[in-house]
Amino acid sequence: MKALIVDDEDLARAVVREHLATHPDIEIVAECANGFEAVKAAAQHQPDLVFLDIQMPRLDGFEVLELLEADGQRPAVVFVTAYDQHALRAFEAQAVDYLLKPFSKERFEAALAKARALRGSRPAATQLAAENRQGRPLARIVVKDGTKVTVIPLDRLDWVQAQDDYVLLRTEGKNLLKQQTLASLEAQLDPARFIRIHRSFILNLDRLAKVEQDGKEHREAVLRDGARLPVSRAGYQRLRELWEEA
Amino acid sequence: MHPLFASRARLGAYLLGWAPIVGLLAALGTLQGWTWAEALVLALGLGLFGAFLFPTAWYLCRALPLEPSRGVGAHAPAWIIAAVLMGGLWTGFARFLAWSLQNLPGLHQLPIRIAPAMPVLAGLGILLYLAVLTLHYLMAAMERSRNAERVEQELRVLARDAELKALRAQLNPHFLFNSLNSISALTTRDPGRARDMCVLLSDFLRKSLKLGEHTSVKLSEELDLLRNYLAIEQIRFGARLAIQWEISPEAERADIPALLLQPLVENAIKHGIAQLPEGGTIRLRAALTAGRVELRVENPVDPDAPEPQGLGMGLRHVKQRLQGRFGNQAWVEAAIREGQYRVDLCFPVETP
Repeated sequence: MKALIVDDEDLARAVVREHLATHPDIEIVAECANGFEAVKAAAQHQPDLVFLDIQMPRLDGFEVLELLEADGQRPAVVFVTAYDQHALRAFEAQAVDYLLKPFSKERFEAALAKARALRGSRPAATQLAAENRQGRPLARIVVKDGTKVTVIPLDRLDWVQAQDDYVLLRTEGKNLLKQQTLASLEAQLDPARFIRIHRSFILNLDRLAKVEQDGKEHREAVLRDGARLPVSRAGYQRLRELWEEA
Repeated sequence: MHPLFASRARLGAYLLGWAPIVGLLAALGTLQGWTWAEALVLALGLGLFGAFLFPTAWYLCRALPLEPSRGVGAHAPAWIIAAVLMGGLWTGFARFLAWSLQNLPGLHQLPIRIAPAMPVLAGLGILLYLAVLTLHYLMAAMERSRNAERVEQELRVLARDAELKALRAQLNPHFLFNSLNSISALTTRDPGRARDMCVLLSDFLRKSLKLGEHTSVKLSEELDLLRNYLAIEQIRFGARLAIQWEISPEAERADIPALLLQPLVENAIKHGIAQLPEGGTIRLRAALTAGRVELRVENPVDPDAPEPQGLGMGLRHVKQRLQGRFGNQAWVEAAIREGQYRVDLCFPVETP
């Protein structure tokens, strides 16, 4: 069994390593100190088991899990975290095991046994991540393109376009594709900042310069950089509601 | 409880206030050609009766409290009706007194004496009742302002309590659990360092509890706590965490609100160093210029991290505490410049 240890603290990794030493059937294929490394190492080694910290630089544990899933990987995951009531509630609801730092040898063995048993029948990472946010809007989007991971802070996201099962994310003059539906992304975004202006478009309100009308029912959003996006009647209605509230 | 009877001193003062009125009544009587005995008996009787009858004004005063929004005119009819009624009762009592005392030696002329004085007595009764009513409204107002003061005092105590709670909440459980986890890792790998870390952690807890008891501490004491805290975090983060101190010696002696910097340094670790794979340097600066303490906490941030939305909880507490204590003499500024997050605090030196 191949295992991956992901934690930004050297000492925290050491504890897991030490406990795993008594299990000769488990091979530690890599130790990673941040989310980027974890995604890279997972792609390279295809681990069966991941010990995953939650608060880490670059990508947090949930984002790592989301990217692994997008990559088609389904390792058994044991979260290792210091203290996070909200996250804990999410784990409990989802029956994914977790270890609270510091933990005993017995607790570690129990989690390991559970993880072996739960292998491959883990709930969707995106759902878990959404529960962890407890209804708070998303702060950034992670996209994996081949081996490259891009993090898009939402203040740098201009607009999003639906493309079948994918969304096209427009950020800093670049287009990035991510496998997700527009509706599910819309549900994660802050509705005061991101507006569904069209069946196929979500717009970052900060980017909007004006709405132009040509013809009776045809409207276009003109963005600050000059780009134009279609605005549907329902989308226009949503924009007007926002303006009236403001 | 009627406010006049709630305190013996107040009742005494009130009754003493009636003495000149009794005197006045007696004087008026003698001016009308009454004998001294007649005037005195009547004045005393009426004075005592009035003194205990008129405080019923309290119930009127409670039923019809003064409200600034409605003006005084709204209650005037009720007051006038009550005053006329009381005036009537008073003169009625005068008649009753005269009638019941006429058999006593020297007082047999009383009923005849007071008959022409009735209108004057009625007017006087009405005026006296109105005066007592005014007195009661004044007492009610005083009571209210005393109550308001007490409520304000209680609120101040609550605010202070909230501040203490906030201070205690700043002892981040994350930090504690992560430190304990480091100790747990070190026990097998490096028992000596595990023990060092236990000592550091205990020292830190002791010091922060001690500082939390005070409202103000010397900057040097706060810095001592921070050194302790950062030594623990350096064991956790290893080479990822570096610290640079720029502390002027004069500033070290200045008094500052206790545990003011602690949450800011904790933020610098949590939102700065911990988010960077290579870590970075936290810079702490303290200076004293023209009677003002200037403090700065600076740390590198991940350029890909979302911009912080407004002030974080820790920073908001710091700002509230400084403003609560120094008003607009204090300012707090937080900004990101060239990948560095910087918090500046500036406030007057407290003179102990």
